[in-house]
Amino acid sequence: MTLPRKWPVNPGILRKLKKSISPSEGEKYLVNRNPCNLEFMSIASKPEGYKLDKPGRKFWNKITLVQSGKHVTAQMIHFEKGPVIEVSTKEWAIKKQLYKTSDTSAYYNLARVFAQRCLESGFCEMACNMKPKEGGKVDLFLKTIIDGGIFLREPSTIHPVIMNRYVGQKQKPYELKKIN
Amino acid sequence: MQNMSSLIKLNYQVSTCSQLYKSFVRYYIRGKPPGIAKTLSQRLAMENREDPELSTRIDIGFPAPRPSRSTELKQRLEHLKKHRNDSNLEKLARNNTLNIDLDEVKKDWLATAGPLHIRKIAERYDIYGLFGKYAYFTPRLALDIKFKQSDDTYFPVYYGNRLKPSDAVNPPTVNFNHEFNVHGLDSKGKSFFTLVLTNPDGHFTQENKEYIHWMVGNIRDGDLLKGDTVVPFLQPFPAQGTGYQRYIFIMYKHDKELNFEEEKVKESNNLEMRTFSTYDFYRKYQDEMTPAGLSFFQADWDDSLTDFYHNVLNMKEPVYDYDYPEAILKKEKAFPLRQPFNLYLDRYNDPKEVNKRFLEEELAKTHPFDGPEPPFRFPNAQYLAANIPSWRKTEIRKARQKLGRINEIKKI
Repeated sequence: MTLPRKWPVNPGILRKLKKSISPSEGEKYLVNRNPCNLEFMSIASKPEGYKLDKPGRKFWNKITLVQSGKHVTAQMIHFEKGPVIEVSTKEWAIKKQLYKTSDTSAYYNLARVFAQRCLESGFCEMACNMKPKEGGKVDLFLKTIIDGGIFLREPSTIHPVIMNRYVGQKQKPYELKKIN
Repeated sequence: MQNMSSLIKLNYQVSTCSQLYKSFVRYYIRGKPPGIAKTLSQRLAMENREDPELSTRIDIGFPAPRPSRSTELKQRLEHLKKHRNDSNLEKLARNNTLNIDLDEVKKDWLATAGPLHIRKIAERYDIYGLFGKYAYFTPRLALDIKFKQSDDTYFPVYYGNRLKPSDAVNPPTVNFNHEFNVHGLDSKGKSFFTLVLTNPDGHFTQENKEYIHWMVGNIRDGDLLKGDTVVPFLQPFPAQGTGYQRYIFIMYKHDKELNFEEEKVKESNNLEMRTFSTYDFYRKYQDEMTPAGLSFFQADWDDSLTDFYHNVLNMKEPVYDYDYPEAILKKEKAFPLRQPFNLYLDRYNDPKEVNKRFLEEELAKTHPFDGPEPPFRFPNAQYLAANIPSWRKTEIRKARQKLGRINEIKKI
């Protein structure tokens, strides 16, 4: 277990930080190095602290549309890592079969491809901060995404229950039956 | 700027309607004032900035195929021109009934931008961490891997899709273009392929090692049966509570037959023999082979694994729980001023001892045969003796309202 330390820290505090994240002596532990695992288990924390700002900051992955006059690009953006999945009408594979790269039909087909690629990459849920006009292209895009199997709402983080020094769990993440 | 900071340092009195209640609010700003101070995003960017010289990775895979751009462009523009003049297509698009063929999109994507996109997803899943900190490759060779379910249906493996271990019990069918050759590079004679399936996330004893689930070496003509099974196939077995573990297929290409005697695993169900390190493996064969194809899936625990652990691996089934970081406390004082003594002491006592105390209190109220006492209909309306100290009263009230620690004792 390593701590990302870039600034000078009081050694006593550093010792306590290290102790808090290292496993207790004699206990068997397993390290799962999959960076997406904690998010899929709803244990990872979302970017907090922006309650007084304009909403839309609290997510793990969010879906964005970059619309230009000629093309449209759908992106799934991670809050730290940036765009992970990018599907665009600029791609030859999609452009080849479309009539126009910016009409309603393009948005619809882009959504189908985007949903397929997200599911193939293991991302089934993502936040959506877009509130489109009813009956418009973006509205159709989002509806098609949902039809494609993506859920546009992320589960909330399961915070541990901390009472004095005892750190417990209200609910085991892998026993989650419903998304909150 | 300095004037602004001194202005904010004023204390200002806030008085309510009555002169009797004069309250003072001292507001001192810590650090630089807003507008000058860095935002959280700026600060995080500063802290997480990486030296590009230290963090750049080296490409150990194949380069991009470079078709003649002019001919390709000419063909594409002709194609698009035809489309623009196609009245049927225009009608379909106008009525929004145009459904593009997703299979064809997939095929074209894999031939053009696919490898780069898959690399980006692989970076998100830290697949290249298998090769240490300094290497990566773009998967130019498309792998078509399918676990058979029945005659018609199968579970495909893409780049991160979620499967259950019961779907992947038998070895999958693997199809790929065995004539894969990067434009301009000579493949002297025949080329061989080696497929390796590893799990870097589930090792029970060593932190930085993987378990190797399958290895087929020296594959000829794209037929896995013609290759040597160096490591026999073993199904995924992600332990309960560990979440999603990655199972990564990497296809290496090499010119001559390689001898994988050292990598051979004789006892299929011995997990220690299956301990593997892609970094060491690739380091050994880096002069002969190049990674060409990549495909991976994620799996989490399944009911069927209990029998697998008992019968196949001959071990007790491990069940894990996420180890949240401990709460960090100040150094314990002998004379803590203005602290409720019972809460202060409980903070520093062994959590198990404290929970034992709560459990004993619960059990004292539980009849061994009749069970626990029936809950009060109006818990806050019950009699509470006057001579009980206040801290004890709070504890009793909380217990009656089922607040706090009582809800946690059954879980330990």
